[in-house]
Amino acid sequence: MSELVIQAENISKHYQLGVLGSGTLKRDMHNWWLKSVLKKELLQENEANSKQHIWALRDINFEIKKGDSVGFIGKNGSGKSTLLKIISRIILPTSGTIKGNGKVASLLEVGTGFHPELTGRENIILNGQILGMNKKEVIRKFDEIVAFSGVERFIDTPVKRYSSGMYVRLAFAVAAHLNSDILIVDEVLAVGDADFQKKCLGKMKEVSEEKGKTILFVSHNLQAVRNLCNKAIYLDQGQMVDFGKPDSIISSYLIKEKVETLEQHYDNWDNAPGNDYIRIKLVKLIPQFINEINTIDIRTPLLFHFECWVINSRLLRENVFAIIELFSLTGECIFKVMSDATLIEQGLLSGSIHIPGNFLNNGYYYISISFMDNKGEKIFEFPASVAVEVADYRENTPFFDKWNGAVRPHFPIDLNFKKHILN
Amino acid sequence: MIQTVKWDWELKPEKKWFQLEIMDIFKYKGLIKSFVRRELIAGYQQTIMGIFWLVLQPLFTTLFFFLIFSRIVKISTDGIPPLLFYMSGSIMWSFFSDCLSSSMYSFVHNAHIFNKVYFPRIIVPLSMVLTHTVRFLIQFIFFVIIYSYYTISGKVQPSIYMLLLPFLLVLIGTFAIGIGMIVSIFMAKYRDIEQIMNFLLRFVMFVTPVVYPASIISKSYQIWFWLNPLTPILETFRTAFFGTPLMYPNFIWISMLTVIGVFFVALVVFKKNEIKVMDTL
Repeated sequence: MSELVIQAENISKHYQLGVLGSGTLKRDMHNWWLKSVLKKELLQENEANSKQHIWALRDINFEIKKGDSVGFIGKNGSGKSTLLKIISRIILPTSGTIKGNGKVASLLEVGTGFHPELTGRENIILNGQILGMNKKEVIRKFDEIVAFSGVERFIDTPVKRYSSGMYVRLAFAVAAHLNSDILIVDEVLAVGDADFQKKCLGKMKEVSEEKGKTILFVSHNLQAVRNLCNKAIYLDQGQMVDFGKPDSIISSYLIKEKVETLEQHYDNWDNAPGNDYIRIKLVKLIPQFINEINTIDIRTPLLFHFECWVINSRLLRENVFAIIELFSLTGECIFKVMSDATLIEQGLLSGSIHIPGNFLNNGYYYISISFMDNKGEKIFEFPASVAVEVADYRENTPFFDKWNGAVRPHFPIDLNFKKHILN
Repeated sequence: MIQTVKWDWELKPEKKWFQLEIMDIFKYKGLIKSFVRRELIAGYQQTIMGIFWLVLQPLFTTLFFFLIFSRIVKISTDGIPPLLFYMSGSIMWSFFSDCLSSSMYSFVHNAHIFNKVYFPRIIVPLSMVLTHTVRFLIQFIFFVIIYSYYTISGKVQPSIYMLLLPFLLVLIGTFAIGIGMIVSIFMAKYRDIEQIMNFLLRFVMFVTPVVYPASIISKSYQIWFWLNPLTPILETFRTAFFGTPLMYPNFIWISMLTVIGVFFVALVVFKKNEIKVMDTL
């Protein structure tokens, strides 16, 4: 039995909404007077007041064992980050207790405490200390950190002169070399290019597997959760829906959220997924319904359409390939399609792919889209961009069941019958 | 089988008032050093005069005080050479007011860091005060240079009480950080405090013998005046360096007790609320 490192009991977090105004001080003082001086219990929140409150977390219980890497998944606002913040001691729970063993380091953002005027070298030392290392440790790992970040040449330049990519790389490099027993990572990998993300995930995997450290990891990148974690926690509206093996948790997450993942679009590129080169404007899966049946079943042809902003091509004009991959729920790649090379510069890149009807098996699928340059390096990957449930259509027939096979193509089988003529 | 585990840490909604976790500060002394370094370096980056601003600032203030209060308004300086008088007043006062006004912004100015990383929050006001102590010492060296000139020419008499300087500095710094920590907690929720404090700080400067000696206060207000913990500190400084008589020597003890009291309350208030205020920051 491996030992527990974190035990959370009935964690709840309650927030007061609304603006702080002139009434706040009066109400606060009144409440304080009632509670501390007159020793009265505060009245329960009445109905009118309850609109001003939100439970960001409600009665969360879990136990994490040493060496586990746990992925936290859920929609925006489901309470994932709140939970990590409580474990990181940044905010207090409204009720409940968390107990733990070992040193915690949290990486809720890359480059916390980086000072633009200081050089890369000075920032490594400062940032390392903010994250809980002592100076000797940082200095001992200094070369390793610099090598990982790949910014050797600029190490004595103030970080305000860094490109955003260099900044992120340096910041993550510091965090990746933290010497803690529990590492908390919140969605920090959304920045940086695909290669660097891969490197970071690799580093985290190494840390958890080889050094037996515990990792708590929030990401919208389900592929990353699947690759890195051996457990997952699914939160929805502050409640813990499920806790267990990542595959089944991710499945139940996708099933529950599937309605919203047929389309994603972003109005401006500042907050769109992507990096310094390419950002996603639109991904959309359009079912081509035939005969007015409007559920997606295995006969329905699907059109996957995407548009993205090319913010900067790394060269003036550059050849890129678009890669579309379709995954089943369990993470198996059903197919991978690569486009022809296309020359791009700044502008809008769009494309679509036709998935014929009578090809996919029934089940849930998600499509990831990525871009590659002509050296075979990934520029950006948008995993699980859309997810879809493909239904079977032969309900109420004896054949209604999941068929074997990754796909269920309707290739004609040449079947002949001849009545055997007995002599 | 019930697993009995000994836990290293435990997070709960409430803390007992005596859980001050003072020892944590020593674990993070490297971070304090780095913060101080960062403040000192970053503050003068990309300025032509660099570190000289540290000396120019009190110099200008001194000349300004000298012009206004000595030449135009003609307030007595108790026979102390006006330049020395104003310079000591201005560097002592700015040590106090800089410590206070930087530590009271502990939460507001560091919200982005506090929102992402945990370390004992007291590290921030502590490193602020240490930063300003370093600045003060640099300014003090400059003061000593001018002071030596006056000593050699026989205009002021140094005394053995000069050795009290570290004690006086600790008092000022502790008082400033104490008030700063309390204010920082409240300011995290009510930004109005900022306006009030800016006003109060200016007010306190005028009821503290910074630009005038305590001796010119009328007899009936003296006691109230000396209850201000800063008054005995500044007056003791003058007695030590300029040999002027100290009117109420015992008030330095009252000042010390006040400072200790304020600091202790500050520790309790700060520790109890340092994480709680994050919800309202």
